[in-house]
Amino acid sequence: MKKENQERLKNIIEKYPKMESAVMPIMQLFQDENQNYLGVSEMKEVANAMNMSMSKIFGIATYYTMFNTKPIGKYHLQVDTCVPGFLHGADEIVEYLRKKLNIEVGETTQDGMFTLSTVQDLASCATGPVIQVNDKYYENMTIEKTDQLIKDLLEGKEPENDPSMTVVSECGILLNDRTQKECRTLEFYKKNGGYQALKKALAMKPEDIVNEVKESQIKGRGGAAFPAGVKWSFLPKNDPRPVYLICNADEGEPGTFKDRQIMEFNPHLVIEGIAISSFAVGAQKAFIYIRGEFSWIAEILETAVEEAKKDNQLEHVEITVHRGFGSYVCGDETAQIESLEGRRGNPRAKPPFPASFGLYGCPTVVNNVETLASVPYIIKNGAEAFKNIGGPNDFGPKIYGVSGHVNNPGVFEYPMGTKLKTILETAGGVKRKLKAVIVGGLSVPILTAEEAEDLSLDFASCQKAGTALGSGGIIVINDTVPIPELTLRTIEFYAHESCGQCMPCREGTQVIVKKLKGLIEGKGKKDDIDLILRLCGNIKGLTICPTGEAFTVPIQAMITKFRPEFEALVR
Amino acid sequence: MTKTVFIDGKKIEYEGNKTLLEIARENNIYIPSLCYHPKLGPASMCRVCVVEVEGMRGLQPSCATIPAEGAKVLTNTERVIEARKTVVNLLLSNGNHNCLSCEVNGDCELQDAAYHLGIEIPAFLIEQPEERDESGVFILRDPGKCIKCGRCIEGCNRLVVNEVLDFGYRGGEIKVICDNDIPMGESTCVQCGECVQLCPVGALIDKKAIGKARTWETHTVRTTCPYCGVGCQLELHMKEDQIVRVTGVEDAQPNQGHLCVKGRYGYDFIYSGDRLTTPLIKENGVFREASWNEALDLVAGKFKQIIQESGPDTLAGVSCARSSNEDSYNMQKLFRGVFGTNNIDHCART
Repeated sequence: MKKENQERLKNIIEKYPKMESAVMPIMQLFQDENQNYLGVSEMKEVANAMNMSMSKIFGIATYYTMFNTKPIGKYHLQVDTCVPGFLHGADEIVEYLRKKLNIEVGETTQDGMFTLSTVQDLASCATGPVIQVNDKYYENMTIEKTDQLIKDLLEGKEPENDPSMTVVSECGILLNDRTQKECRTLEFYKKNGGYQALKKALAMKPEDIVNEVKESQIKGRGGAAFPAGVKWSFLPKNDPRPVYLICNADEGEPGTFKDRQIMEFNPHLVIEGIAISSFAVGAQKAFIYIRGEFSWIAEILETAVEEAKKDNQLEHVEITVHRGFGSYVCGDETAQIESLEGRRGNPRAKPPFPASFGLYGCPTVVNNVETLASVPYIIKNGAEAFKNIGGPNDFGPKIYGVSGHVNNPGVFEYPMGTKLKTILETAGGVKRKLKAVIVGGLSVPILTAEEAEDLSLDFASCQKAGTALGSGGIIVINDTVPIPELTLRTIEFYAHESCGQCMPCREGTQVIVKKLKGLIEGKGKKDDIDLILRLCGNIKGLTICPTGEAFTVPIQAMITKFRPEFEALVR
Repeated sequence: MTKTVFIDGKKIEYEGNKTLLEIARENNIYIPSLCYHPKLGPASMCRVCVVEVEGMRGLQPSCATIPAEGAKVLTNTERVIEARKTVVNLLLSNGNHNCLSCEVNGDCELQDAAYHLGIEIPAFLIEQPEERDESGVFILRDPGKCIKCGRCIEGCNRLVVNEVLDFGYRGGEIKVICDNDIPMGESTCVQCGECVQLCPVGALIDKKAIGKARTWETHTVRTTCPYCGVGCQLELHMKEDQIVRVTGVEDAQPNQGHLCVKGRYGYDFIYSGDRLTTPLIKENGVFREASWNEALDLVAGKFKQIIQESGPDTLAGVSCARSSNEDSYNMQKLFRGVFGTNNIDHCART
């Protein structure tokens, strides 16, 4: 190994309390230095450096999508064809690229310039179609822009991304003014009252902070809606082990792209939230587990952490930004912990819960970005002020992401309990006729236009309407979309992302994909529809992590609510 | 402290911290399971051992559930059976689970589960089986029969610490790999066969046993491995007087089921035509058969003669590694106590 690499390895390892956490960043280093390809000899070097077996390294490399275990073109073109991408016309981009480059998906051009792949969800739902070229996003793509992109890349130019979309913030708490060039700097943040909440918090007793957050009744914004303050209070008292806090920034639920808006443009809000929360739970070490595809946002966060450190804001906690490597399931808190410990992202059986046995077997709190970013407001203004926003069921600001068939897709920060109608109007209204809407990310039951008519967007109202607010990722579907096709896209996502650990999820997703494909191709039988429903009914609740529910619940809803469309496929 | 649990209405008393599956097994209540092995503990992956526990939401994997005092457990409700059937059906559908000429027919946990659930034909579709890996000297891998329960991987990494096997890929593509997914025969595998012994189905089988006997045609003979002084406990699976295969005895010391490649697969020598069946004495350059008494008398006489003529230190003994600890002890006793010399050693030290 080169001497400078040894030094870099040492620096990576030093970032973590345990060496094994460094394995994936080190694999990434070797891949980057080998033309984006992690071959057998690179894996051997990592195995030797980490004193791990070859099969472990290979198992990790083939679990996470961002490791390329086969040689790859100079430019890896990855088109997101998951549900929101599909609604925004990603298939046409793939078709165009196939013809233009004269290769199939998964192939590399003869000159070694381009590899074409389709990928599942890049969290650019409102800005689709999106092509990720190596580690850079190109959003809002059209055929013309794709054509220009290929031309530019062939000339060695890497054009700028156009991430534009509609951003409206009624609350002005989580989203800041991104049109200001310096919006992500410490100076800008402090000028607007930043880090005052932290100052206040550090003068409080940690248990008072926990109580304040508990009283605010803020529910987890990652999708599970578990009260954050209650989660914190599960940590054991007087325990000799260190406590860890993980900020879950592995935003991967299709339809969801809200956390990146906070992290990219208002990074110090996230860091202040982590700093306050770490103090409240007694964590001296915190991690931001950010999905690896957001590489530029990870850099923004790292810069912000450095700025905050220099400004003496982080004397009580050390924050490390850790990049994921491509896995939806790692958004689950126990899978995230496994991944952070340098393993395949297989969720753990609960109990024990992370609060008692989490990262490195120590008490651990895992909170979503938006949840943590709400903490400074609660501390600065008090739980009552937070509860004055929205209601009557749930409180506080919420970022709703709207993708699919609206005129102005984007992000909308509104009080909890805002009417769906209001949000859709702010998003410029539905293109053509509304057929259905998914309000909480792909994992929640779809609503028909009638069911969605008068819906309020809070956890309780959504539950009453037979769905869930989840992450607040709203996918709008108009009358041009055949629901069976949407259902197939949905199950293909989960089949691709299943960790493969629990047999019902691993095998069930495969069978449902095949049955649905058969139906769509006109080879299905009438019984197949009931068979899929029966499978979903039996798999629900039968798996270690919530993925078993995440795919059975939406599939069941799509089929039962739009059954005639499925029956029409049977000849 | 005695604890109580009610399984299907039956009151059961037990001692210590036990899982529902352990309690059920001790009381002859059948709960199918695939990924659980007593030696490896719960894995919670197959979801076949699920049961209903009063007051708990959803079905619970019995392998990982430690019941609360007085818990009421149901192992046979419609919900439980439907869930089990779903999993077993899915597994049977995805792979090449053809029992007709499978080596483990009759000794397969997937087959047992299917039998108890009354599944004759899988409800879904059949996948194209993956190619077999015949590259291992003693072990044949048949991925088409693999249910990805992970028992072989746990055994390889945690028990025998050879660290060859692991899971590669993910989701529906997940498979058990050797090193960087290379054929077993080219990998760092030492063919100890622990994985074969832990496999609940016919995905890992002993090559030497193929076609020799159906599982029900064999009877077992327990014995001690003759290779070294550890004294591993073996089970010889015999068809008439021929060994079909060898397994380690799971609940016996010192090996708890583990064996090395020699103990598990190196048994052909016992059928060798070159094997000595009586002592031989060489006279005028030619061996002749002798009785044990005659041979031992001859050796004892020579030893005595040497000691008398040249003293005990002109003799030296090297104890063989294939003898047991007790035999090696006797050997040094013979040299130190009887012959009167300290010239005694063991071949493992030289």
